[in-house]
Amino acid sequence: MFLALKEIKHEKLRYGLIILMIFLISYLIFMLSSLAVGLASQNTQAIKGWKAQKIVLNKNANVSLSQSILTKNDLKDAKIGKNEAVIGQLGIVAKKKGKTSISAQFLGVKKDQFIYQDQDLVAGKKAKTNNQVTVDSSFRDKGYRLGDKITLNGSKKKYTIVGFANNAKINIAPIVYGSMKTWKKLRMVAPNVAAAAIISKKSNYKFNHADAKTYPIKTFINKLPGYTAQNLTFELMIGFLFVISLIVIAVFLYILTMQKMHNFAVMRAQGIPSKTLVGATISQSVILVVIGVVIAIILMWLTDLALPSAVPMTFTPTIMISGSLGMLVMGIIGSLIPIKSILKVDPAKAIGE
Amino acid sequence: MTVIELKDVKKVYGKGEAQVVALNDINFQADKGEVVLIMGPSGAGKSTFLTIAGSLQKPTSGEILINGQDISHFSAKQSGELRLNKIGFVLQAYNLVPFLNVKEQFTLIDKVKKQNNLSKEKLQGLLKQLGIEKLLKKYPNELSGGQQQRVAIATALYANPDILLADEPTASLDTQNVEEVGQLFKDLAKKRDKAVILVTHDPRLEKYADHIYEMMDGQMTQKK
Repeated sequence: MFLALKEIKHEKLRYGLIILMIFLISYLIFMLSSLAVGLASQNTQAIKGWKAQKIVLNKNANVSLSQSILTKNDLKDAKIGKNEAVIGQLGIVAKKKGKTSISAQFLGVKKDQFIYQDQDLVAGKKAKTNNQVTVDSSFRDKGYRLGDKITLNGSKKKYTIVGFANNAKINIAPIVYGSMKTWKKLRMVAPNVAAAAIISKKSNYKFNHADAKTYPIKTFINKLPGYTAQNLTFELMIGFLFVISLIVIAVFLYILTMQKMHNFAVMRAQGIPSKTLVGATISQSVILVVIGVVIAIILMWLTDLALPSAVPMTFTPTIMISGSLGMLVMGIIGSLIPIKSILKVDPAKAIGE
Repeated sequence: MTVIELKDVKKVYGKGEAQVVALNDINFQADKGEVVLIMGPSGAGKSTFLTIAGSLQKPTSGEILINGQDISHFSAKQSGELRLNKIGFVLQAYNLVPFLNVKEQFTLIDKVKKQNNLSKEKLQGLLKQLGIEKLLKKYPNELSGGQQQRVAIATALYANPDILLADEPTASLDTQNVEEVGQLFKDLAKKRDKAVILVTHDPRLEKYADHIYEMMDGQMTQKK
C-alpha cells in the first residue's frame, strides 16, 4: 500500500488518466444499468406493485395479456378469493383538448378485488363509477389534473380523472384504471366475455380450464413485448463494458509494470520481497478503481437528480454496489496479469547483467 | 574478521560453442573495516563478480561464504533476505526508487525490515556525514548525481549491512567528488566497520583501498 500510494501521489498525470478511464467506464456501467433497471421497472411496475405470482390467460393468447380473452364459461369454476383479481386490458390513447395525447394501458378492475383495493394513490381517490378513472402519476407531469375529463381512443364519452396512482406502469406505458364495464365497452367484446386475465398473489394458484392456462408471473413478464430483448441488449452492453474495463486496467497496468521493471529489479536487489511488489501492484489497482468508481457514483447521483423524470433511469443501491464490486473484481483480475512478470524480475538486471 | 569469501567460484553463461566463462576459479575475501577495489576493463567480469558476491545470481560452481555460511545454494527468498540484512548495494544508476523522496527511501526499508536498521540518531549522523541531511523531502530527479550517489549510500547503509557492494560508484563524478566519495567509503569501512567492495575502473580510487584485485577475462589477481 505504501509504494502504491506514493507512486500514485508522485505520478499524478499518469494515474489521473487511468482513474479517468475507470471513472468513464464505471459511469457508463452505472448509466446503462440504471436505464436497464428503469426501463425494466416501467415494464413491470404495476405487476410488482400487485405482488402478483401467477396469471391465468387464454391458452391460445401466446402468454399475451392484450391477446387474452376469458369468457364467463372459462371462469365458471375459477376460485377468485381475496388474493385473486380479474383484469381486462387494452392499449388506448388518452386525450384532453389542449393537452398532449398519452399512449396508455387501460386496465379494467373490480372494486371488490385486491388490485382496486390496493391502489397506491398519490392524490385524489379511487374511481367509483364507470365514468371515473384513476391514472398513473406521469399524467400529472404532462399537465393533467384531478377533475380533467379525458376521452379514450377518440370516443365521445368522457371520463373524469379522480386519482393519480403511484408506480402504475405496465409495458412502459402509464395505466388508466377504470371499471370492467368500461373495459368491455372500449374493447367491444362479446357479451359472454368476462375478463382478459386472472391475477393471483398466491404462488401455488392454479386454474387450468379448457381455454385457460396458469403461468408463473415471470414467464408472463419475460413475454412482455420487447422486455427480454431490451434486457438482453442492456446486459450485453454492460457485460462488454466490464470486459473492456478488465482489458483497459490490465493493459494499463501491464504497460506501467513493464516500464517499472528496472525499479522492481533495483528493489529486488535491495532485498525488497516480491510479495511487497505484488502487493503494491494489486493495491494500486484497487486504489485506482475505488477512486474512479467513487467519482462515478457521485456524478451518477448528480445525473440522477438532474435528469427529468421522463427519463426512465433508476440508480439503486443494488446497481451501485454490484457495479462497484464488478469493477473492483475486474481491477484485481487486471492487476494479476502483470504479476508473473514481477515475480520473474531478475534483480541482477539492476546492475545491467 | 572475514565477512565474505569466494572459493573457486566459476560462472559460465550459455552452452556449447556459445559458452562464455565469465568468472574462472575466483578466490576472494574481504574483512570488516576494509576497502577492496575490483578493477578491470569492461567485459572482464566485474559486474558478474558483483552479482554473485551480492547473491543476485548463483555461481555455476564454487562456494560463497557470508559470515562463514555458504549461500551459493540459497533460494530466491533466502537470497532476498540476505541482501536485505547483510548486503548493501550502491549501483551505477543509483538504487533509488524514483517516486519516493529521500526520507521515504528509508521508510520503504522500515516497511520490509522492521529490526536492526539504524536508529534515528545514527541515521541523522550518517546523513550529516554524507552531507544530505537537508535533502529529506527531495525526490531523486531533484538531486544532482553526487547527491543521488550519497543518498544511495545512505540507503544501502540504513539496513546496517556487514558488506557494502558498489558498482562503478564514481562513474559520473568529477575529480573533487571522486575524492570525497573515496574518503567517504574509507571512513565507512573504518568507522562503521563495514567491508566495502568497490567494482570500478577508476584508478583515482586506488589510494583509498586496502586491497586491490584486478580482473581480466574472468580471472582475478591481487595487486595490493
